[in-house]
Parts: sequence; C-alpha cells; structure tokens
Amino acid sequence: MSKETQMRAAVNQKLVEMGERERLKELLRAKLVECGWRDELKAHCKDVIKGKGLEHVTVEDLVTEVTPKGRALVPDSVKKELLQRICAFLAQQSTL
Amino acid sequence: MKMEDMSLSGLDNTKLEALAQDIYSDLVEDACLGLCFDVHRSVKQGYFFLDDTDQESMKEFEIVDQPGVDIFGQVFNQWKNKECVCPNCNRSIAASRFAPHLEKCMGMGRNSSRIANRRIASSNNLNKSESDQEDNDDINDNDWSYGSEKKAKKRRSEKNPNSPRRSKSLKHKNGEFSSSVSTDIYKYNYNTGISYETLGPEELRSLLTTQCGVVSEHTKKMCTRSTLPEPELVMESDGYDVSDGQVLMSRLHWDGSSDISPSDSASSKASTTNSDPKRTKKKKKPSSLSLTAVGVDRGEREDRGGSGSGGVGCSSSSQSALGLPGRKKKPKLPAPLAPSIYDDLN
Repeated sequence: MSKETQMRAAVNQKLVEMGERERLKELLRAKLVECGWRDELKAHCKDVIKGKGLEHVTVEDLVTEVTPKGRALVPDSVKKELLQRICAFLAQQSTL
Repeated sequence: MKMEDMSLSGLDNTKLEALAQDIYSDLVEDACLGLCFDVHRSVKQGYFFLDDTDQESMKEFEIVDQPGVDIFGQVFNQWKNKECVCPNCNRSIAASRFAPHLEKCMGMGRNSSRIANRRIASSNNLNKSESDQEDNDDINDNDWSYGSEKKAKKRRSEKNPNSPRRSKSLKHKNGEFSSSVSTDIYKYNYNTGISYETLGPEELRSLLTTQCGVVSEHTKKMCTRSTLPEPELVMESDGYDVSDGQVLMSRLHWDGSSDISPSDSASSKASTTNSDPKRTKKKKKPSSLSLTAVGVDRGEREDRGGSGSGGVGCSSSSQSALGLPGRKKKPKLPAPLAPSIYDDLN
C-alpha cells in the first residue's frame, strides 16, 4: 500500500470517527433537495422506468442511468461549499 | 494509525484538492444511490406513479405564475368592491363590511348584545331622571306607575332568592317583610335620582348626621361616606371650636348676628376664652359646606343630639344649652353643618 493510499484511508477513517462524514452527508442532501436536484433526477428516473418497463426495472439499471446524470446536475454553489468544508477539515487534521 | 505517519502538511495543495474532490464525489454518489433505492422501492411497491394523472387534469391544475394572481390563478381582492344584499334589512352592503353588518342586523354575536345592553342602560338612566319629577304620590303608590315599577323591579332584583343574606334579614326582623328593609336602604343608597325633598326632616337629619349626602352628578348616587368622628384628630383646646364656628357664621351672615363678635375671629387659632369646657375642636373646615349654610336656625340645633359636635355658629348662649356632656372630643365639621342646611330647606 502506498503512503498515499494509507494516508487516504487514515483520513477517511478520521472523517468517520469524528462524525464529520455524517454531517457532510446531511448537509449535501439538504442542499440538493433545496435546489430541486432531487426532483429533477426523479423525473429522469421516471423516463428511464417508462423506457425500461415498470416490471423489469432493477436497481442496477437505475444506478447506471442515474448516477452520471446526478453528478452532472449538482449545482456549482453546492459543490463549492462542500469542497470548502472538506478542505477545512483536512487542514484541521494536518495541524493536529 | 497515527497522524504523524501521514504528513498531510507535506502534501502540496493540488494533492489536497484531489483528496477533497474524492471525498466529495463519494458523498455525491451516496446521495444518488439513496435516491435510486427510494425510487426502486416505490416502483416495486407500486406508488411511484400515483401522483400522475392524465394530461388534461395536469394542465388544469398547473401552477400559475402570473403577476397579480396567486398560484391557483385567483385574483386577490376580486370581491372586495362587490356589494351584497342583506337578507335581513334588504340593504346593499359592501362585501368587506357585510359580516359585521349582519352580526348587528340579526342581533347575534358578542358586540351586538353589548351595544344593546348599553343602549338599554342609557335609556334607563334617562327614564329614571324623568321619573324624579313625578309626584310623591306616584312614587309611593305601588300599584302602578312607571317610576315605581322600575324601583320595585330593582328592589326585587337586589335580593337574590338563593343568597344566604335573605334568611339573615328575615331572622333579624322576626318575620317582618324583608323587602321593607331594602326599601329604606334603597331609598337612601340605591336610587338613581335621590331627591332630598322626598325625605322628611327627621329622616334627613338622621341620614345626614351619619353620612355625607353629596349627590354625584354622574351617577346620581348619594355619597355614603361616614361622618362619624375620626380617631386621629387631636383636640387642641376647648375654645377652638366655637371660634371656628363663629368665623364661619360671620362669613355667612351679611346682616351680622348679634351673638357673634368679629373680634372672635382673631382668636380662632388661639385656645383661650371659652366658657364651655366641653367644646370640641375640629381641625378641618369644609368651607364649601359652610358657605352654603345661610340662615342657620340655632334654635333647632339645640334639639340635635347628633354624633357630630355641637357648635358651629352657636352663640355662646346656646352653647351650654346644647349640653354636650360626654361628647367625644374628635368630631368632624360637616356633621353639624349638613343638617343645618337642610333644616333651613325644610
């Protein structure tokens, strides 16, 4: 395992341990609902399901269809804020 | 794993940023997955398409986004300027004033009863002041007259049939009709148009020696403040009282009385020169009352054994005649004066 990978793992672990990950997750979810991202993506899901047929839709289908679109649809402001918070956390960690 | 092993500070910014990006994309993917699971579940449970209806209805209930109109497409104060016809009085009323008008018109609702009661009360007051001018006969006649009917009604309404006081008064009077007691009280205390002319001289005297008797203009009620002696008054001298009285009388009598000498006024504050040791002294001088006591009849005052001290305006000759043995030393001035006013009137 490279040092970097190790480091990443450690950081992730720290993130979870301190509860920061959960907080970030909640923050992101709230922001996405607020900006209408969720509804947009849901409408897209509808199309996919109508295309695939109601009975035969699987989770994997949905995931493969929806995730790339979802990533693209996140507004810039939300993205920036999340990144800011993560960087702050990392900076905090490096000083400890 | 200790943080010293991974020197984050050693990493340059780009790497830090890359790290942050990775963490961020992980979070976004989590969110997307969450949505997918939700949708898949709703599809399989069969409620995913429930909020959809046919295209026609969708168009009908679409959210409206025009200025001046709410999201349902309704205008805000569309009915404000319209007029409605009141079913009760058949008048045309503005829509915004319709509800309060209906409340008053039909006589329902809190305010309308309040207003009605006020109107009745004020019309009662007017009627009662009119009835004062009726003859004494009318008032005393209990068979029927407008004024007495009202008074009779009031008398009855005073005594609550369920109150314990009713039995008390019956006990005291030994079977005497209890309302007679209230009649007397009513006459003196509760009337809304008391006239001193209706009371006899003896009644007046007894009334006014114990109570103030001033009739209020607003409520037409008689002041029931007690004129009995106050404990805090201190007696300075024997002669003070007479001198005061003489000063007052000198003010009142323009023609001058032979009994009062003006020189006595100088000694009003001094405490000397009085033959009557039993003279009582009052500190206060209600000049308003005294100024109206014109033509005091001193002869009658001798008969009075009232609670007030004797002696305002008494001549020295009548002082001893008054004979106030055991008189309390702290009387109030109004008491002797008040009866004198009304003695004269009678």
